Amino acid sequence: MSTEVATPFEPITADSSTGLLSWVSSVDHKRIGILYLLLAVFFLLVGGMEAVLIRIQLSTPNNTFLSPELFNQLFTMHGTTMVFLVGMPFFTGFSNYLIPLMIGAKDVAFPRLNAMSFWMLPFGAFLLYFSFLTGAAPNAGWFSYAPLSTKPYSLGPGVDYWIVSLIVMGVGSIAGAINIIATVLCLRTPGMSLQRVPLFVWIMLMQAMLIVITIPPLNSALALLCVDRWLEAAFFEPVRGGSALLWQHFFWIFGHPEVYVFALPAFAMVSEVIPVFSRKPIYGYAFVAGSSTVILLLSYSVWAHHMFAVGLGTSANIFFSAMTMLIALPTGVKIFNWTATMWGGSIQLTTSMLFAIAFLIQFVIGGLTGVMFAAVPIDWQMTDTYFVVAHFHYVLIGGVVFAIFAATYYWFPKMTGRMLDERLGKWQFWLWLVGFNGTFMVQHFLGAMGMPRRVYTYGDNPGWALLNGISSASVIFMVAGTLVLVWNIVQSLLHGEVSGNNPWDAFTLEWATTSPPPETNFESLPEIKSRRPVWDQQHPEHADWKFAKTPEDGGHRPDRAQVCAWAFVISEAVFFVLLLVTYIVFNAQASGEGPSAATVLDVPRTGVFSLFLLSSSLTFWISERSLRAGRRRAFLSWLGITILLGITFLCGQGWEYAGLLANDVTIDRNLFASTFFTVTGFHGLHVTAGLVALAIMFTLGRQNQLTKVHSKPFGAIGVYWHFVDVVWILVFSIIYLGAFQS
Amino acid sequence: MFPVFQPESPEAQAIYDLFLLVLMISAVIFIVVAGLIAVAIWRGRSRATLPKQDFGSEKREIYWMVGPILVVFWITAISAKLALTVNAFPKMQPPDDTAAEADLTVTGHQWWWEIEHRDSGIVEANEIYIPTGKKMRVKLQSADVIHCFWVPQLARKMDVIPGRENYIWLEANQPGTYQGRCAEYCGNQHAWMNFKVYALSPADFDQWEAGEKVTPGTPAEGDAVAGEKLFFAHTCANCHTVEGTLAQATIGPNLTRVASRQELAGGAIENSTENLTRWMKNPQAIKPGCRMPNFKLTDDEAKQIVAYLESLD
Amino acid sequence: MISSKLWDWSSPVWLLIALLLIGYLVLVRGPSRAQLAIFLGGLLAIALAFISPVGVLSDGYLFSAHMVQHLVLLLVVPLCILLSLPKEQMTTWCQDARLDRIGRLLDVASIGWICGVGAMWFWHIPTLCSTAAQRPALGLVRDLSLVIAGIAFWWPIYAPCERYRLSPLTGIAYLFSACLGCTLLGIYITFAPLSVCPVFASPVDRIGILNSLYDAGLTPGIDQHLGGLMMWVPPCILYLGAIISLLCRWYSITDPEPQFLTPSAQPSGATR
Repeated sequence: MSTEVATPFEPITADSSTGLLSWVSSVDHKRIGILYLLLAVFFLLVGGMEAVLIRIQLSTPNNTFLSPELFNQLFTMHGTTMVFLVGMPFFTGFSNYLIPLMIGAKDVAFPRLNAMSFWMLPFGAFLLYFSFLTGAAPNAGWFSYAPLSTKPYSLGPGVDYWIVSLIVMGVGSIAGAINIIATVLCLRTPGMSLQRVPLFVWIMLMQAMLIVITIPPLNSALALLCVDRWLEAAFFEPVRGGSALLWQHFFWIFGHPEVYVFALPAFAMVSEVIPVFSRKPIYGYAFVAGSSTVILLLSYSVWAHHMFAVGLGTSANIFFSAMTMLIALPTGVKIFNWTATMWGGSIQLTTSMLFAIAFLIQFVIGGLTGVMFAAVPIDWQMTDTYFVVAHFHYVLIGGVVFAIFAATYYWFPKMTGRMLDERLGKWQFWLWLVGFNGTFMVQHFLGAMGMPRRVYTYGDNPGWALLNGISSASVIFMVAGTLVLVWNIVQSLLHGEVSGNNPWDAFTLEWATTSPPPETNFESLPEIKSRRPVWDQQHPEHADWKFAKTPEDGGHRPDRAQVCAWAFVISEAVFFVLLLVTYIVFNAQASGEGPSAATVLDVPRTGVFSLFLLSSSLTFWISERSLRAGRRRAFLSWLGITILLGITFLCGQGWEYAGLLANDVTIDRNLFASTFFTVTGFHGLHVTAGLVALAIMFTLGRQNQLTKVHSKPFGAIGVYWHFVDVVWILVFSIIYLGAFQS
Repeated sequence: MFPVFQPESPEAQAIYDLFLLVLMISAVIFIVVAGLIAVAIWRGRSRATLPKQDFGSEKREIYWMVGPILVVFWITAISAKLALTVNAFPKMQPPDDTAAEADLTVTGHQWWWEIEHRDSGIVEANEIYIPTGKKMRVKLQSADVIHCFWVPQLARKMDVIPGRENYIWLEANQPGTYQGRCAEYCGNQHAWMNFKVYALSPADFDQWEAGEKVTPGTPAEGDAVAGEKLFFAHTCANCHTVEGTLAQATIGPNLTRVASRQELAGGAIENSTENLTRWMKNPQAIKPGCRMPNFKLTDDEAKQIVAYLESLD
Repeated sequence: MISSKLWDWSSPVWLLIALLLIGYLVLVRGPSRAQLAIFLGGLLAIALAFISPVGVLSDGYLFSAHMVQHLVLLLVVPLCILLSLPKEQMTTWCQDARLDRIGRLLDVASIGWICGVGAMWFWHIPTLCSTAAQRPALGLVRDLSLVIAGIAFWWPIYAPCERYRLSPLTGIAYLFSACLGCTLLGIYITFAPLSVCPVFASPVDRIGILNSLYDAGLTPGIDQHLGGLMMWVPPCILYLGAIISLLCRWYSITDPEPQFLTPSAQPSGATR
């Protein structure tokens, strides 16, 4: 404990640099990045196998290859795996590996946190796949619509494993994203202003921010589902007053930004690959970067386009339709800029570039069908059919997976020091191109034939057997292509051509070091005077800074503990806001049945206990000032008072809970009780967590291990503690004082 | 073969027209973009010299966005206009209480559809008879989870949500049979939750309605008599209704005119003596996971019950 | 005729508009033609908010019209006022110590944020919303407070003097979090059961147009729906426009000093 605190941000180095243990215990961002990628590849194979089984089952009408039960489990697992165990780890892996290199840093901002983020993932994956052994994998679809996913309709433990594993993986994702944000904001090498970072870094920064605000809605939805399933509340049970649509809202508030969590990294990768193989800088850097920011902002207000068919009301449908159409524009800006980058360039058709070009064209197809879905009446006809399956596979495979392949061929030499074979690479490209389009192009037509998605089999309707047959048969090409890739990687690792530092004559900082890079990343760094430092170094006569001026680096870097604390607090704020929305939704109008806030809560008493909590913010502030001024005694005593005030507040909460339980107001009683206990319970948990952190600080302080230099991390804890108080002010005014109640 | 492209109602026709228009716009956009990319690659493919290092032009970025912005506004406007017409319900008075006016009430069950006609009180399962040329107001509700009501040739899709009532219009230009399906994943047997809409000319429809109103008589002879006894002995009546008898439960489909149906089990099998016997012997073999248990009937018992059910016509 | 009832030509708002115009012409020296146009646009917005059908219907009939009025007062009018002030004159004014103190106070991002977002939330607490709609005096207080809150809100982004403005990235976070604030309120209003502002659920038919409104489909349910979406989409698009303008400012290479974040000036809910 003591050594860890004394040197809070020094990476540990394993004794030996090889062997399994050195990988497991590594906190080096490059190794963790590679672990992420390996995990993603493994689950790509698993999820791919699930897809193959699905396509075998659907290859002929009335097929009995799989039971309906197993088929439903497989498509649920396929979706969940591809989203959480393939997409997310691939991108986190690449950004983990590349971002510190691209900004000239030695490591990420919080190496240990980075390792934790990664190891959450295999743990979550284990939980998810363990469900197969319990005999009931989740089978409610990857978006688990309630009430199908609630107890009466999904009795087995499958959905429970699904919930827990998603929460575990979500925590890892948020921690990883916070790390990326802090790294980019705080660790850029001198000269690299935020306007000069490679587009990959900027777009991945946007993606990380999106993750921080987009996972919490999922977590709050999962929390509600847990309470429904395990504690017999009725959030999603209409018979007992719940809402069948609340889940959909919450899920898609997560789910649609999640699409951009996937699309943005693909944009990021392609924005590096296309310029390099066109031998030109990216056309309109500011527009590609700025449009990513706009996408990040807009992605939060389009979720209900997944719900045009639920009958939200025409006005809501039209507004969401308009917002969805709007988000197509910044994406269009990017497509134009990539095309303009290639225009007049010297195109080198490497495997990586081929994949990037195929990405561009297939993504345009997926995007255009997306615009069709944004037109409400077309959505009413085509949603939930194979047309939508084709649409999102064009975005996610034709777009995202092809971009991942482009990135793999592009950065593999940097990671391993060896080139992938170009001839095999082209084999893989063509196999995938044929296989992918063969599988999914025909599904557009199946949709128009009226085939709903997620059916385990279908009758022998005219044309269905043929098109499904073509779709299934084409999968063989993708499987073959994947085998070629695996073979290519193995061959390359064994005796591939040695790549050298910069095989592509690329532009950004990661190519300024050896391949693979040393433990500390760089021996020396070129001077950063533009967006393409390595280009400037290699082509001094054409150096960018002579022709295109970019804002100079002011040299200011925010404190990483502060950045981390703020990002975490924002994430938590989204979580609480959604819980409070739930409270308002179910309690805005008095239900009449059972207990309500007005009848069972003792407002004055809780008001008094609230004062204890609120004053603890003040005492914390004094204690923080004392630490900064080096007054140890004052620091300790004020911190102690803070802890006591927090404990007093918790006791007050306990008193209230005891009283309620004694009066038979339990969480399953009615929706008021469910929402009340859920909101205050989570707040109580946060207070407890804060108290633990404060107690650790207090102990360290007593052992004389806290000095002035620790005032910044201590301040970061303060951000959290004040946040918990602010949340309580909201909770108190909404629940106890009944604001927003008519 | 392509029901979406073969609309048979004014509403479906309007949606199809919009679809075609947007498809064409998309095709043009695709050809332009793909063409530009192809030309860029073709021209740059063998360029060996170092190309001009072009960092972009703000003016050009703004110019080339004018087109997409206009297209997007256009599509938004035409689709919004259509969305308003498709969903338009006349005579909406506060407090939006139009529930009483629905001509048909459709209830989604795991995994079959229950249809009730308002005027005649007729209850059907997985079959909807409507007269041509009349706009039928359909109320959609669910008995369990979320389903989705979809007849591609006749109407928009609409989700069927527990705790909510959704409304759509159902109308057919021509007499005919139109396939309908559940489009929202609703559990194990989502695949077999199909239904059919039979549009009849108004005269045929009146005749059908009159025929439906007559309660079928009790069987007088043959296996059917024994079958009727078995029907009640084997607790079939706990779930099903047969009008004119003591069986009045509404958990499973109404069997009053089961013999007149074309398909059974949500479209999983055709209605024939052979299939019905297979179904009676083990429903779980045909539609695994469905709510009807295997009663382990002997061959004779199955034959008798089937005879009884076939007498219900 | 109904259409003639929907215009309130005899409103005292004309007086206010005239006073504002005279005040602007007298006090503000040398506004550019664009600035004058923006100011006139702001006056037009005020006129529309009170005299056009928006103003008449927002008086007890339609919640959505009432929302449009709020948005004009909170977002459009203050923005027009700020943008119509010439830089040079304001820079001279701001050298005055007292004015400078006000300017710097408004520069604290959290104040502007809480004013802008808080004003919206505050006036839609059901009881307050109803009372303000029924009592003209409270209504006046509300309208004034909205304009003042709006000025405070836009100040850190479009203050006439450069030095009061937030750095572009912080500004983006500021606007985005405000957008989320609006979104939440919009969601609440859109999907809340009837009714957020009970006055509009059972309007008093003052000028006999209620039935025509219902015939046009504007029943209380739809009306609240529209109101919620008004609260949500137009402000977010406006903020998005402002964000794009900030991005342009940030990437513009002519910017003499690159802007960087100062952690001290962060709005609640924003980190960069």
